[in-house]
Formats: sequence, structure tokens, C-alpha cells
Amino acid sequence: MINLKHILKLRSLPGATSCTSAFLKETLTAPACSRINASMISGFPTPVRRELCTEKKMPTVRYSDPAIREPLKAFGKYAGECLPKYIQSADVTIFDELEILIHPEGVLPVLSFLKDHHAGQFVNLSDICCVDVPSRQFRFEVVYNLLSLRYNCRARVKTYTDELTPLESCCSVFQAANWYEREVWDMFGVYFTNHPDLRRILTDYGFQGHPFRKDFPLVGYNEYRYDDEQKRVVIEPVELAQDFRKFEYSTPWEVFPNYRDADKNMRKEGAGDEK
Amino acid sequence: ASKAAGKLTTGLTGLAVNSTPHISLTALYDRTLKLLARMPADAKYRQSTEAIVKERLAAVNSEPDISRLEKRINCGQIEEVVQQAERELQLARNFLAWKPWEPLIGQAPPNQWKWPL
Repeated sequence: MINLKHILKLRSLPGATSCTSAFLKETLTAPACSRINASMISGFPTPVRRELCTEKKMPTVRYSDPAIREPLKAFGKYAGECLPKYIQSADVTIFDELEILIHPEGVLPVLSFLKDHHAGQFVNLSDICCVDVPSRQFRFEVVYNLLSLRYNCRARVKTYTDELTPLESCCSVFQAANWYEREVWDMFGVYFTNHPDLRRILTDYGFQGHPFRKDFPLVGYNEYRYDDEQKRVVIEPVELAQDFRKFEYSTPWEVFPNYRDADKNMRKEGAGDEK
Repeated sequence: ASKAAGKLTTGLTGLAVNSTPHISLTALYDRTLKLLARMPADAKYRQSTEAIVKERLAAVNSEPDISRLEKRINCGQIEEVVQQAERELQLARNFLAWKPWEPLIGQAPPNQWKWPL
């Protein structure tokens, strides 16, 4: 059971504070997180986590800092206990960043909790972005980045949706969400319900398509040029002087043994011309 | 223009000085506790928020001096503490409608969060 006083005490001092009590076993979502630290450095897998060793620290390696990590883990667990209805998992990444994965129905409750609760006070919405992974059932992963000025820490909230399912707009919670959600709508096509003014923000006025989707080509479909006969800018299908060339700068040696699965999957999907 | 020997300004834009913070805080905390009492007793949010609010209420009731109260609560100026209390009250109201202590409404599909693919 997490001692709330301890969380607030840890979080009441500016900057990271040192953790004194033992916390739960780490559950990292990224597959190779815990193994990168040990195996990549020493060259062979070791069961001991690097930061617990008293060996000399290498200056070129970014080590995980328990002083930042532990309070974030504690808060993530606490949030998971307060909102079990929506939070699917709350973990700290290998880079000491708190990520809270939620069900799409829980956007407003979770963001309100993080903003309004005493132990959260994530008053600043730094960014809303979207990641398109077309192979998934819910291809769009919407990411909310929050910052707590009171406790000097950041949190990330992630949801998922597909092309047709709308998300609830969080403009009622964060005013800053207005333009960010407009950008996600314009670039990806994720619709936000109850948004005060959801229209395009970056693309041209008559533009069709959502440019940041993975199936939208890099050069687009139309090009604009000034036509001297018609004395105006005309829109025509794009014509490039050279074919699009994609280079695969891959080495014959395996570089990331922990990512063997990912490598196999990438090759299966067809990685393009080998050069 | 002195405010009965209190502070002149909070130093924060848009945040006016509160000359009677004890009244504001006790009112907000009492209303929050009333709302929290309507939540299930085993809800983690209720237990922890009640602990926080009761602790702050005890501090407010026992410390008449504003600057010493600010130091004791250790969460910024008293006007900011009032802001936090207002936010918590609003959150408690919303939580009564949303009921986030219920079990998970749905898991993500199997490979939704897998990265690298």
C-alpha cells in the first residue's frame, strides 16, 4: 500500500528527492527496456541491474536515475489505484519518463485527475501528438504530455483510436488543447467530440487528406505551380523528375540483439530496396 | 494600500491577494469532505484525498498566522493553496459522476502498446 504522505513528502520539495522506501517491482512495457541497460553494456546478459552495481559509471552512457524514477513510479501506481476504471497501465520508461496508458473513454477523467488533484497538479499541457501505426487495430495512438510546475515533473498519457472512433476533447480541462487537437485532426484525421472549433490548422484551405498518416505519400498527391498562360497558380497531380529512391543502410552484422523480433517483423513487411 | 498588515501582492499575474484565506479554505475543504463522503469507503481516491484535506484543514484551523500557515502547508502561497482546494473540489464533483473507482472498462487489444512492433 503506497503511503500517501510519503508521495506528497517526496513531491513537496522542488526537484527530484531521494527515495527511502522500497517500491513495487518494475513493470516496463517496452520489451527490451530492462535488458538494454545490462546486456548492451557488458556484452552479455547479466541479471543485475546496472544502477545497483557499485562499478564505475561510464560517461557516455545515460544511466537511469532512481531519484527521479522512484517518485514517478510511486505516483503512477497511485494514479492506477485512484482510477482503475480507465488506467490500463502506468509505467516509467527506461528514460525515467512516466507513461500512463488509458482506455479512450477515460481521457477527461484521467486528465482532470492529473490536473486538479493535490498530488498531481499537472497544470501545463505541453503537447498533444499522435502516432500512426497502421498495422494495429487502433492505428492512432494519441499522446498527451503534461508538466507539473509545482512538483517539477512530467507525465505522458496515451490513448488509442482508429480512423472512425472519436475521442473526447479535453479543451474543457486544458485551454491549450484547442490548437493541438486541431493539429491532430488536420494531420491524422482523429475527430474530437465537443471541441469548440475543430477545423484545419496547417494544411491549405481545400486540401484533402491527412498528411501525417503513414499511407499518405511523402511528396503528396498534388503540386502547385504558377502557370504563365493562365496567370495564376494551378494545382496539378504531382510529377517528379526522378523516381523516389529509398536506401537501406543496413549492416550485415546484427547490431541490436534485443530487437531481433522487431527486425524480423520489419523485414516481413517489406523494407524496400537494399543498397 | 495595506490589507490589514497582510501582503500587498501575490507576485503572480491574475491571482489576487486573499485577505481571509482561513474562511475560504475551511469552506472549500468542508464542502470537499462532504462530497468525498458520498464516494465508496474503499475507493483509493476518497481515502487519500480525505487524508490530504483533513491534514490541511487541521493546519488551517490550528495556525492563524498566514505566512506560518503557508510554510507549514509547504505548497506555495496561500492563494495558490486556495486554487488547489478549488480544483480538488471540482474534481471530486466530477468523480462522483464518472465513478473512476469501478473496475477497468476495457483492456487494450493484445499488441496495442507493443513497441518495437
